Amino acid sequence: MSTVDQYKAAFINTFRVPSEEVEALAYQSIEQWDSLGHMQLMSELEDIFKVELDIDDIIDFSSFAKGQEILGKYGVALNG
Amino acid sequence: MADTPQAFDTAAILKAQCNRYPMLFIDKVLDCTPGERATAQKNFTYNEWFFPPHYEDDPNVPGFVLVESLVQAFLMTFLSLPEHHGSKTNFLEIKDTSFRRRVVPGDTMIIEAELTSFKRGIARGQAVGRVDGELTVSGAFTVGLPHILSKFKPLAA
Repeated sequence: MSTVDQYKAAFINTFRVPSEEVEALAYQSIEQWDSLGHMQLMSELEDIFKVELDIDDIIDFSSFAKGQEILGKYGVALNG
Repeated sequence: MADTPQAFDTAAILKAQCNRYPMLFIDKVLDCTPGERATAQKNFTYNEWFFPPHYEDDPNVPGFVLVESLVQAFLMTFLSLPEHHGSKTNFLEIKDTSFRRRVVPGDTMIIEAELTSFKRGIARGQAVGRVDGELTVSGAFTVGLPHILSKFKPLAA
């Protein structure tokens, strides 16, 4: 599985949404992505990519797209 | 994270967690390594409020009381840490819950709880309850501490 597929899978597994919807996701755009869902997503991504996200990055992680940018800072290249 | 093993009587449990009558179920913590594990005891007597209605002709412990008892033992694995004493907690997830034995007045359940991770206000772990050494109830739990979780609330997109 490519890294971008792993990234999408984290959203699908955490929020139980169809794969075609993940790229448009943003914090509070669906009821599952609330503050608790956010922490579950952060844990899922940390487990998948073996990184530990800083508090500022956790707070800034406001959408699917923004998350790609943030993970890039940790050396995670999300390639298809 | 580990500390010296400790025991908690009812007064000490009341300081560590916010559950109160009629929702505080564990009677004492026999042995606890803060940040790692806890062993708790729950005695069930006919004087419990739930036996007369559940059921009048066949009193037995409701499933939710068994699960809540497991979780309260699990809470002690991290609320036993001084920095978390008295914190409020919320259920986030219950998984793999299994009921294997009826529990009736006069039974004592011993609960073994283990904390597998604690990060940013989210605790994960499992607990197993036994009566007379027999597997009675088990489950895996994720519990949140809202006052810590709120510090990580993201900005709106």
